Amino acid sequence: MLQWLFRGLRHGIVTSAYPRNPEPAPPGFRGRVLVLDKADAPQRLEDVCPTGAIRVREGRVALDRGRCVLCGACVAAAPERFVFVSDYETAARRRAALVVGDTSATPLEEVMPTLGDRSRTLRRSIHIRHVDAGSDGAEEWEIQALTNPYYDMQRLGLFFTPSPRHADVLLVTGGVTESMREPLLRAFEVMPEPKAVLAVGTDACSGGFSAAAGEVAGGVDQVLPVDVYVPGSPPAPIAILHGLLLAAGVVTREAAAA
Amino acid sequence: MSAERATGAATEPRQFLDGVSFEEEAALAPERRLRVAVEDVARATKVLLEAGGHFSGLFQPGSDSALRVLVALRGELIVLRAPLDGERSYPSLSRITPAALFPERELHDLSGIVSLDHPQLEPALRPNADELRRVVTGPETFVIPYGPIRSGVFEAIQYPIDTGGEDVLALSVRPYFKRRNLEQRFAGLSFEHGAYLAERIAGVASVAHALAFSQAVERAAGIEPPRVAERWRVVHAELERTANHLDVGIKLAEDAALSVGVSRLGALKEEVMRLRARLCGSRFGRGVVVPGGLGSEPLLSKGEVVRAIDAFERDYLRDRKLLLRTSSFTDRLIGTGALDSETIIRYGGVGPVARACSLGIDARLERPYGSYGRLGFRIARATSGDAMGRFEVRLEEIDQGLHMIRQAVEQTDSESNDFRRELPGADGEACGWAEAPMGEVVYWLALDGQQIREAHIVSPSLRNWPLLSESYRGDVLTDVSFIEHSFGLSPAGADR
Repeated sequence: MLQWLFRGLRHGIVTSAYPRNPEPAPPGFRGRVLVLDKADAPQRLEDVCPTGAIRVREGRVALDRGRCVLCGACVAAAPERFVFVSDYETAARRRAALVVGDTSATPLEEVMPTLGDRSRTLRRSIHIRHVDAGSDGAEEWEIQALTNPYYDMQRLGLFFTPSPRHADVLLVTGGVTESMREPLLRAFEVMPEPKAVLAVGTDACSGGFSAAAGEVAGGVDQVLPVDVYVPGSPPAPIAILHGLLLAAGVVTREAAAA
Repeated sequence: MSAERATGAATEPRQFLDGVSFEEEAALAPERRLRVAVEDVARATKVLLEAGGHFSGLFQPGSDSALRVLVALRGELIVLRAPLDGERSYPSLSRITPAALFPERELHDLSGIVSLDHPQLEPALRPNADELRRVVTGPETFVIPYGPIRSGVFEAIQYPIDTGGEDVLALSVRPYFKRRNLEQRFAGLSFEHGAYLAERIAGVASVAHALAFSQAVERAAGIEPPRVAERWRVVHAELERTANHLDVGIKLAEDAALSVGVSRLGALKEEVMRLRARLCGSRFGRGVVVPGGLGSEPLLSKGEVVRAIDAFERDYLRDRKLLLRTSSFTDRLIGTGALDSETIIRYGGVGPVARACSLGIDARLERPYGSYGRLGFRIARATSGDAMGRFEVRLEEIDQGLHMIRQAVEQTDSESNDFRRELPGADGEACGWAEAPMGEVVYWLALDGQQIREAHIVSPSLRNWPLLSESYRGDVLTDVSFIEHSFGLSPAGADR
């Protein structure tokens, strides 16, 4: 055991200082897609996207990051219009905020108060329960990565709990299959108030690829009220951490809607 | 009965289908297509399995209403095609091999085709978590519905465990809680979009799925990707394997309450994930493998990759040595969840689960694809068949993987910028395969010019899962998580 202790100490501190210091993503990282030029787009641009994230209305492009699986098909087809940004902070508290360049009037969505606003004690110690409702399995890896020494979410007072009865935050992955709808609802119902729901990953935000296959509800918000959306296929650990801190009210900076 | 042959078939009539009449149809080696009558399909499968074949899959494409049975035999992939001709039933394959149990239930749910005398032909694809079936009945036994939501960050799957309190009397496996119907989603997609979807079937094996898919398209189109692209594919596939095997290590160390071990292995896995992100922009190697070659050029130079691999290996070897000397860890694995090679063969098991029973089942060597035929490596094997054996296989595969990455990177020509070949249209059907970290994944595709007409996936996780029920011989409840994690399977991949 002593040897393990030395082995652990040998490496010094590798832990990120996020959110105190920004955590830059490596160059070339596919964090989100930025629309450089929204005007004069041909209608067929819509067909470039396999998940229907790109819409063209009267020549103007809108990109729904809640549907985008970051495959890069649009970046390859129209590099003058679309470009990847290496950025981790992609989460937003409103679904509409994920739609980039939408010119049509969007209905005003209600933003739920953060956990910190609802209860002052819930800013420093938050217990998290994860439920998989039909992900591809990658999101689970990135959520679990939050406990490794590089992210160490315990330093921010974030803990996983086995029971939803002790949980303040529900992390949901996947577009919600029929078989998981009931177990998911039950887990949510037994959570004490105040509670928050995070939709983690593009599948959880909209169903992603699976939306058109008819077996999923098409996003967690079709089943439960969602506090924070974390798009990405899958979102990186820092992106999930950003979403958690957004729900807690510890950080307020949301994804830039550009 | 006499063996018939299609005129012009290049190979000699094979003895292995003796006693069953069949007709050989044209196919690109090492695939072999044999047409049999639907009433003979079970008998033909039996003959192939008795000849040393390994059952891999069963499905029915909607486009031509004929059953397909896939069997791997001596370096070839035999595709039996049995036209239904209006029949709605066929003799059950589950009576011959338990590997067909789940595929036959799937087939029944999706197309209503009945496998005659299937032992349990009930709906599978939309399980209800509350409906439990007792396997063992007795006054002092009960069922623990373990899942679909379990403690910890795990994917959804249910294991109803029959127990008397401590001993595991029986453990059933109920997949499909997260079935997203993604095979059907392939219909009408372009080749490139199809690769992006394949990456999202089993997210932790994105590269392997994209490889199997892309190789099926490439084989149908009759092209080979540039050599340099094939080498980079190896780099990504082996990094993926390393990350998956380390993930199994993390979960096992967590089960053994070895927290520093969890941290160290977690750090090692994170280093691999970060290397992958620096190399291609995705922590899961997504967007790299597309039909025709690479979807994006490597963002790191040869030297940078080799340096990163060297640094990783130095750390990894120290942790590995320490881990294998920690008896509180190894004691929990030795003798736990033991399987023997006959059971593995009977169930058509693949991947590290099979290799831990000293079976040489590995698609990279059975039917070499891409650069694997030109790289020097050996199959990692263990003889014990238990959780420890499976873990040892994984550790050796990490060593071999790092070795292959160095070889592949050394051979990449830094001047060559030809990463992708133009794909002509392709028609007809073709299979593609790749050795994913959990075992061989096979894609069967029907193509229509520049589009996918239909896709079926033979998932290694679904093939191995029934073996989990077989691996409880005198084990207790606290062994359940060790055995499950030592299998290292992907619910998303099994459910599709």
